[in-house]
Amino acid sequence: MNHSLSTSATVGLLAPLVVLLLVAFGYPLGLVAWSSIHVDGGFTLKAFQNLSTSTLFYRVLGNTLQISAVATGVSLLLGYVIALHLAALEPRRRMPYMVLVMLPFWTSILVKSFAFGIVLGDNGIINQVAAFLGHTGKFELMFNRVGVIIGMSNFLLPFTVFPILASLLAQNRSLHRVAEIMGAGPVRIFLKITLPLSLPGVLAGVLMAMTLSMGMYITPALLGGRKDLMMANLVDIYTRQTLDWGLASAIAIVLLLMSGILIALLLRVRRAEALGV
Amino acid sequence: MTSPSFKVRTASIGAPTALAPSGGARRRFLGQATAVAASATFMPALVQAQAKNIVVTCWGGDYEKAIKSCFAEPFSKEMGIGVSLVNNADLTKMKVQVDSKNVQWDVFDSVGPQITAGARQGLWEDIDAKIVDRSDLVSPGGKDYVGTYLFGGGVAYDPKRVPEGKRPQNFKDFWDVQRFPGRRGLRTRISEALEMALVADGVAPDKLYPLDVERGFKALDRIKPSVKKWIETTPETITLLTSNELDYTYTYMSRVFPAQKAGSSVAMATGQTINSLEYLAVPKYGKNTEAAMRYVAFCLRPDRQAAFANTVFFAPNARKAVPLVAAESKQYMPDVLNTANIIMNDGWWADKYDALQKRFTEWMLT
Repeated sequence: MNHSLSTSATVGLLAPLVVLLLVAFGYPLGLVAWSSIHVDGGFTLKAFQNLSTSTLFYRVLGNTLQISAVATGVSLLLGYVIALHLAALEPRRRMPYMVLVMLPFWTSILVKSFAFGIVLGDNGIINQVAAFLGHTGKFELMFNRVGVIIGMSNFLLPFTVFPILASLLAQNRSLHRVAEIMGAGPVRIFLKITLPLSLPGVLAGVLMAMTLSMGMYITPALLGGRKDLMMANLVDIYTRQTLDWGLASAIAIVLLLMSGILIALLLRVRRAEALGV
Repeated sequence: MTSPSFKVRTASIGAPTALAPSGGARRRFLGQATAVAASATFMPALVQAQAKNIVVTCWGGDYEKAIKSCFAEPFSKEMGIGVSLVNNADLTKMKVQVDSKNVQWDVFDSVGPQITAGARQGLWEDIDAKIVDRSDLVSPGGKDYVGTYLFGGGVAYDPKRVPEGKRPQNFKDFWDVQRFPGRRGLRTRISEALEMALVADGVAPDKLYPLDVERGFKALDRIKPSVKKWIETTPETITLLTSNELDYTYTYMSRVFPAQKAGSSVAMATGQTINSLEYLAVPKYGKNTEAAMRYVAFCLRPDRQAAFANTVFFAPNARKAVPLVAAESKQYMPDVLNTANIIMNDGWWADKYDALQKRFTEWMLT
């Protein structure tokens, strides 16, 4: 498995992607960074100063971190269980289950968020079944934090399932057999072998889920209540309603830095772990 | 492009010469030929002076159909200038066009907060008083934007679920959670919400402005626990009623009547409405500024205003149009003469909207 490419081949293969990223990602991102410090024809840190004294910004920042962390945690737990199940199946039987995991992934997030109304609403499936079973009163599952977490976890699930599944499938089965022969029970095998070896997958899943959820926009707008405003919604208010693009750009830059720091931290943990092993 | 098409034209009109039987016909032909030649020669200059087509922003659905039949098509017929409608145009895209001096839209059609935000950013050309006559307008707008027609917002409910006597008739009722218990829906925008709150708190609609902001927020504090959803998108003001997630919502007449026509069980209390203006503005650096001004003037013509009111029940802004509106349409229209009704003052909001919207968003989070 150790193919090494010559430098020129590497450059040649990467060049198209690099060019695409520079044009379609680097340039607009540069513009956003530029407009966060270049307001009304001069350089200024006014937008960032405004943010640093804005209680609105801190509240929304807190919201964003909290919601993202919880949604990532929920989708990680659920995703791990699903991945364990998928990994234990024969490849032929695994296929239909994988499609089931992918199905919500192929559906537009807007459609999914609207559709959740049918499930979570006052007259939704859950409340109707509960009423049928004799529960009086309603479960408040929508237009609050619960709704946002459910909607986001549903969206994030494929992003945690697949990296974890990949790292589970890559494990050497003979390790488990050896452990079994040596007398380890299933719990011990999981804790000592399966879990540690799957951590790179977990990390990749957490990274993706966390960064994706920090930029979430539609789900909090449609399923959230008044307290569930997130950063992307705030950016929307400043870009479209008040046309304060300096402030909107500054928020976007803060969001980008936060995601960047998060990624750097997680990668560092991973490297330390790799060195430890 | 010009020279081959010119050749084709000479060739095709060359044919009748041979067949022309009389001097009269020949003279006529010569006249035509000269005209064609002249138009071919001066074509580039003419195109610059008179636009062939202008682009106007729009809101889709029944609104777009009405704009097409009442304004766009008659304008094209009379002026020989085509009108293309672009839907869901937002101010952000307009600002990008003006900032880059590459303007694709000639007329921008929007509500007060957007139009005045655009005005503060200096996006609009001053309205050309030589072309646009505003002497007859109820609400003329500002120096760089024009009020076109009014639309009414009020309290809506599902008449099947809410029996008579339990239906809030005005904003005071909407705020009265004892007499009218139920799940409420309000918008995430501070404009309209603040007016509603103050009227519910007892301020007379004609003495609203300048708005007493502190009193308004106190009144909003009272309704806050009963608001189940602060609604971000306009269609949801109807769908959350029909899906039985809310009992009473703030919504617009122009949304309620199409929903009724489509068979939904929705009704609106028309005893008290907030009437807001729709505006037209012409962006700076447009390629067809003069034609755009002519379109704005055309939209204000009483006969056109009345036709539009009869189609989608927006109240005309031109006084002379009011008697031309059919009596049966008037019952679906915001009544500008009803003193219980509120007329939005977008001028008051212009320089206060940003700060108050920020405060309102913060208020919602706590």
